[in-house]
Amino acid sequence: MALLEVQDLEIAVRTKGKLLPVVQGVSFDVDDNETLGIVGESGCGKSLTALAIMGLLGGTTVRITGGNIRFDGMDLLTLSDGERRSIMGNRMAMIFQEPMTSLNPVYRIGDQIIENIRQHQKMTNAQARDRAVELLSLVRIPNPSERVDSFPHQMSGGQRQRVMIAMALSCDPKLLIADEPTTALDVTVQKEVLDLMADLQTRMGTAIVLISHDLGVISETCDKVAVMYRGRVVEAAATENLFAELAHPYTRGLLNSIPVVDSDVDWLEAIPGRVPTLEEELTGCAFHPRCALVTKLCATSVPQETEYKPGHSVRCHFSGKVAP
Amino acid sequence: MNTLIFFQTAFAGRRLATLGFLWLVMITVAALAAPLIAPFDPLEIDPVGRLAEPGWPNLFGTDHFGRDTFSRAVYGARMTVIIGTGSVAVALLAGGLIGMISAYFTRLGHFLMRCVDVLMAFPALLMALALITLLERSVFNTILVIGIVYATTTARILYGMTLKLRGEVFVDAAVCSGAGHFSILFRHILPNLVSPLLVQASFIFAFAQLQAAALDFLGLGLPPEVPSWGNMLSEERIYVTRAPWLLIYPGMLIVLSVFSMNLVGDALRDSIDPRFKDDIAGV
Repeated sequence: MALLEVQDLEIAVRTKGKLLPVVQGVSFDVDDNETLGIVGESGCGKSLTALAIMGLLGGTTVRITGGNIRFDGMDLLTLSDGERRSIMGNRMAMIFQEPMTSLNPVYRIGDQIIENIRQHQKMTNAQARDRAVELLSLVRIPNPSERVDSFPHQMSGGQRQRVMIAMALSCDPKLLIADEPTTALDVTVQKEVLDLMADLQTRMGTAIVLISHDLGVISETCDKVAVMYRGRVVEAAATENLFAELAHPYTRGLLNSIPVVDSDVDWLEAIPGRVPTLEEELTGCAFHPRCALVTKLCATSVPQETEYKPGHSVRCHFSGKVAP
Repeated sequence: MNTLIFFQTAFAGRRLATLGFLWLVMITVAALAAPLIAPFDPLEIDPVGRLAEPGWPNLFGTDHFGRDTFSRAVYGARMTVIIGTGSVAVALLAGGLIGMISAYFTRLGHFLMRCVDVLMAFPALLMALALITLLERSVFNTILVIGIVYATTTARILYGMTLKLRGEVFVDAAVCSGAGHFSILFRHILPNLVSPLLVQASFIFAFAQLQAAALDFLGLGLPPEVPSWGNMLSEERIYVTRAPWLLIYPGMLIVLSVFSMNLVGDALRDSIDPRFKDDIAGV
């Protein structure tokens, strides 16, 4: 049994009295010491999936309408508030997209880490403080014993993200969900943060769910990849299998739209159009209006998940075919 | 430390606001040290020296019972401070709680905020009058009534601010770290509301003075024997032609204090929200 199992997850948004599905039939699982990458354009439901796992979809407008999420054998969707609170921040933790706003501006960073530790572990304030300093040095914050008393506004974006990572790791979680942890950072800092996460993973055996729209980041850091498009997983495989043979036209499109520095092409390929909004009624494959391989079949029937190669599943009627 | 810097920047280059602040400090000192400053007992009656003109030893003259107006004014400062801080405490506590809880628990909030809307539909003085007729005249009840009146606006303001803060990522992050409702509301959201609360407090303090003076004047505020500026105005108003100083001094004190409090409030608000700056040039 895997550490995190998501099965047929369905999430819907209520707008103008209608329930519009935003995530449909998403399934994946993550083992200890494994990194799963979830990739896709904005608005594909990646973040919603993460928020659903962390139980942050408490509102009345967005809700989970089906499926189940099991963490370490527990059904996360039926846990009581108290049980859930004892897991969150303790055995599973999350790192957010915006490092600039994810720390409380009125508290010193040390106090925020200490609070998280003492929420879950019996420690005196002094012990928790020592642990906080240790965590800060672990995430390579220079001068941790002084920086522990800094306010968030006194730190740079990269440093704040590292503080968030330190906080997330404060109770040695078994699962870490990172929702675009590097999107708001520049490239060099991005690399540092990713290296740091990989390093911590080898040291502690944490399972990581890494959400990103950057295929480069995913290919470097993840063991397996799930590509999402408009609420569905359209292609999923181990990283090397996926990049060896891209089976879905959407994944190919994503990869082709990354500029290659040392190649001499004049024209960068892009996927035409944009992700259809929720209000747009779609029949058939959600990708068909933008797909180069589109046929009548695509517009009428939703492709089922098929096994393209062992361990490599695809949702496409023409998996593996390349546009002429 | 941070508060100190906040005050420093708030009053930098604002001479009037600084003067206002100093005036308020004086009032507070007078309130605290009233028995030391006042030369006479504010309740001591002297039938021979009725309606004496300002001079020595009665600096502000005497009233129709021969009581020393200066001593009564000094003790009145005490009432001003008590009514002001009391109303601020009631308004911020009640209004703050209602606003924050409404923003956090949205369903309950819809109900609570509609109740607040209904209360806000009444003019402040009218509502205060209606409430005070239900209660006995006492210092505590005056504070309670004024506090309730201004709790409504406080609730509205804090509702909006909490609603905004609730959507911040650090609140989500706190939920993710396993924090409960209580801890999120009071440990993560409340500290971010301190500066708007401070501004709100200063304005409520000023309005409470006016409201209390109005209630006193109508004979519905503090009990008549309590020396307060409003009561002094109310009791002596028939002597306006014979002994105008009996009205001028307490009136001036009320005006100066309310004006000072407003200046201080403006300065604090501008340092938090610079968009209002230079609304009233230089003030």
